[in-house]
Amino acid sequence: MILEALAEFLTLSELGGVIVSGLAKSALYVMIASGLTLIFGLMGVLNFAHGSLTMVGAYLGGLLMVVTVTGGTAPLTRLGLFFVAIVVVFALLTVLGGAIETTIIRPLYDRPPIYQILLTFGLTLVIEEVVRIVLGIYDLQPLSDWQAALATKPQFLREPVALGPVSAGWMSLFQILLGIVTVVGIWAFLTKTRYGLYIRAGSEDTEMASALGIDVRQVFTVVFALGIGLAGAAGTLLMWDPTWGASVPLAAETLLPAFIVVIVGGLGTFRGTVVAALVVGMADAVTTWWFQNAIQFTGLPELVLFLVLVVTLIVRPQGLFGVEEVGGH
Amino acid sequence: MYHTLLNSAVGAETQMLLPTVETMVGVLYFGLFAISFDFISGYTGYLSFGHAVFYGTGAYTVILIANGKMPLLGPGTPFMLSLLVGGLIAVVLAMLVGLVSFRLSGVYFAMITLGFAQVFYVFVRGWDYVATNPRDGPAVGPSHVEGFQIGVPGIDQLSLSIGVLTGDEVALLGSTLSGTEVSYYMIGLVVLACYFAMQRVIHSPFGRVMIAIRENEDRAIAVGYNTYLYKLGAFAISGFFAAVAGGLFAGFKRSASPENSFYFLVTGDALLASIIGGFGTLAGSLYGHLFDETVREFLSKAGQGGGLLPYLRALLGQETLDATLVGDTTIGGLIDLLLNGHASLYVGLVFVLFVLYVPDGLLGTLRTRLGGTFAKALPAKLWGESE
Repeated sequence: MILEALAEFLTLSELGGVIVSGLAKSALYVMIASGLTLIFGLMGVLNFAHGSLTMVGAYLGGLLMVVTVTGGTAPLTRLGLFFVAIVVVFALLTVLGGAIETTIIRPLYDRPPIYQILLTFGLTLVIEEVVRIVLGIYDLQPLSDWQAALATKPQFLREPVALGPVSAGWMSLFQILLGIVTVVGIWAFLTKTRYGLYIRAGSEDTEMASALGIDVRQVFTVVFALGIGLAGAAGTLLMWDPTWGASVPLAAETLLPAFIVVIVGGLGTFRGTVVAALVVGMADAVTTWWFQNAIQFTGLPELVLFLVLVVTLIVRPQGLFGVEEVGGH
Repeated sequence: MYHTLLNSAVGAETQMLLPTVETMVGVLYFGLFAISFDFISGYTGYLSFGHAVFYGTGAYTVILIANGKMPLLGPGTPFMLSLLVGGLIAVVLAMLVGLVSFRLSGVYFAMITLGFAQVFYVFVRGWDYVATNPRDGPAVGPSHVEGFQIGVPGIDQLSLSIGVLTGDEVALLGSTLSGTEVSYYMIGLVVLACYFAMQRVIHSPFGRVMIAIRENEDRAIAVGYNTYLYKLGAFAISGFFAAVAGGLFAGFKRSASPENSFYFLVTGDALLASIIGGFGTLAGSLYGHLFDETVREFLSKAGQGGGLLPYLRALLGQETLDATLVGDTTIGGLIDLLLNGHASLYVGLVFVLFVLYVPDGLLGTLRTRLGGTFAKALPAKLWGESE
C-alpha cells in the first residue's frame, strides 16, 4: 500500500506537480514571512499582529477588487486591477504600520522583549474585533472565505496548464512569479540602496549604527511600516487562493506558518527566511500529496510543519542561517 | 449571596455588573491555569507559550477515563484520582518537552514550546480514538452519567458532585445552594489548595533559585546551581497544576474541544490574565482573569445572562431603540453592533493599555504602592503596626 503510493509519488507527472505546488506554497510563505523577518532582524520585535495585518490586507484587497471588477471585466483588466490593488494595499498598510510603530511600539524599546510580544498580541485582539464589527455592518460571514472577492479572479487563473508531462495550475505559476518578484525586490532593496545599507547595519549592531550617524529611530519606523505593508500585499494575494481566502481565521492561519518559516530560517536573516520558506513549502506540498493519496490523517501537513520547527530547533537552535546572539536574552 | 442581590432593589444593576455563577466557576479553574502559567513564565522568565498542552492533557484525561478509554482505569475511577493521573501525565510530558526546550532561551523557547503544543493540538484534532468527531472534541458519555465528585474518594459524606446539571444541591442555613454554586465552592477548594502548594514552592529555596534564573541566569550558574534541573522541575510542577486546572474544567463542563483546551490562543488567554493581574505575582493571574471575564461579560453578553446590552435594552425601551440616528441605523442597532459579542475588542484595548502604562499589572502595582505583599502591608498601613 505504502510502496504502491511511493511508486506513484515518484512518477514524473506526480513529482513534478508536487514540486510546482511546493514552489507556489514557498512563494506564499516567503511573502507572509518576509515582513516579519525584516522587523525582527532589525528591531528584535516579534510581531504577533503580523497575521492580523495580513488578514486586513486580504480584506482591503478584496474590497478594492469587488468594487472595481464587474461581471464583464476582461481577464487582463482584472489582472491589472489586481496589481493596482496590491500597490494600494501595500501603501495603506505601510502608513498604518508607521502609525502603529510611532504611537505604541516606540515606548517599549527599553523594556524586555516580552513586552513587545504582549503588546502586539493585544493588538491582534483589537484588529480582529474591529474587522468583525465592520464585517457585521456589511453582513459578511467572518469565519468563511469571502466568496465575492474570490469571484473577481479571472477565469484563466482557475485553469490548469500543461508543462510537458506535468499539469500545474496557472494560479501556482502566478504565485511563484509574485514570490520571485518579492524576493528579488527585497534583496535589491537591502543590498543596492542606501536605506538597505542602514537596515543591514542596524540589524548587525544598532548602537554602532547610530554612533555612525544613522537615525536609527527613523529606520525602525520605516522598516516596521514596510514590514506591515508586505504583510498586506501578501494578504491581497492570499485572497485569491481558494485554500486560504479572506476570512478572520486567516490571521492565525498565516501567523503560525510565518513564525515557523522565520524561526527555521534563523531570526533576522532574510536569506534564511527564503531557504526556510522553500523547505517548509516543499514539506507542506509533499505531505499534502501523501495525505490526499495514501495516509488518512487530516492534520498531516500541519503536523509536519510544526515537526519541522521542533526538529530544527533541536538540531540547530539558532535556525538554518541564524546568528546565536539574535533573539536570546 | 448572588441571588439575594438579584432579588434586591438593585437587582437589575447587579445582574448587569456581576458575572454569573457559572462564569465565576470558569474564573476559578481557568485562573488556576493562569497561575500555573505565571509560575513558570513569571518566575523563571521562560515564556511557556505552549502551556495549553498541559491544560488539554488534564481535560482529555478526565473525559477519557470517564468514558472508559484509558487503559487500566475504568469509568468508575474517582474524579480526584483522575485529576492526579492527568497531572502526572502532564509531568511526564513537561519533562519530555522541557528536556529539549530548555536548551533554548528567550523567543526561541517560547517558539519551541508553541511548536510542541501545536503538534499535540493538530494530533488530537485528528485522532478519532478520543471522540467520534475529534474536531469537536470528546464529551463525557453514558458510562459516567453521575457528576464528578470532589472530596475524599470513597466517602460519600465528604464528597460533593460538580457540574451545572449534575452538581449536588446542598441545604445550608435555610437556603439552598444550587449545583453550580456547590461546584463553585468545591472547585474553589481545589484551586485554593493548588495555589497554596505553588505559593509554598515559590517561597522555598527552590523558588529562590527560580527567581535567580529570571534575574540573572549566568550568575545563578556561576554560584553553582544546575539551572537546567531547576527549570525542568519548575516546568513539571507548572505542568502538573495546569493539568489539574484542565481536569477541573472538563469535570465541570463534561466536554472539551481542541479549540478550548489545546489551542495556542488558550495560552494567550492565560497570558492576558497574568499580565493584567501582574506578571510574577502568582495570585495576580487569578484576579487578572477575573477582571478579563468581568469586562467580557459586562460588555458582550447577549441574551438573558446579564451585562450592559440587555440592561440598556430594558432601560431605554423599545421606542428609543427604534429611533433612527443616521440613515437607517437605529440606536438599538448601534448598541447591538458595538456590544454584541465583541468583548475581545475592549479586552484587547485594556490589555494594550496595561502593557503600556501598568506593566506590573493590578496586583504588582498594588504591591509596589504598599511596599510589600497585600496581607503584610495592608494591616501595617491601616494600624501602623511594625514588625
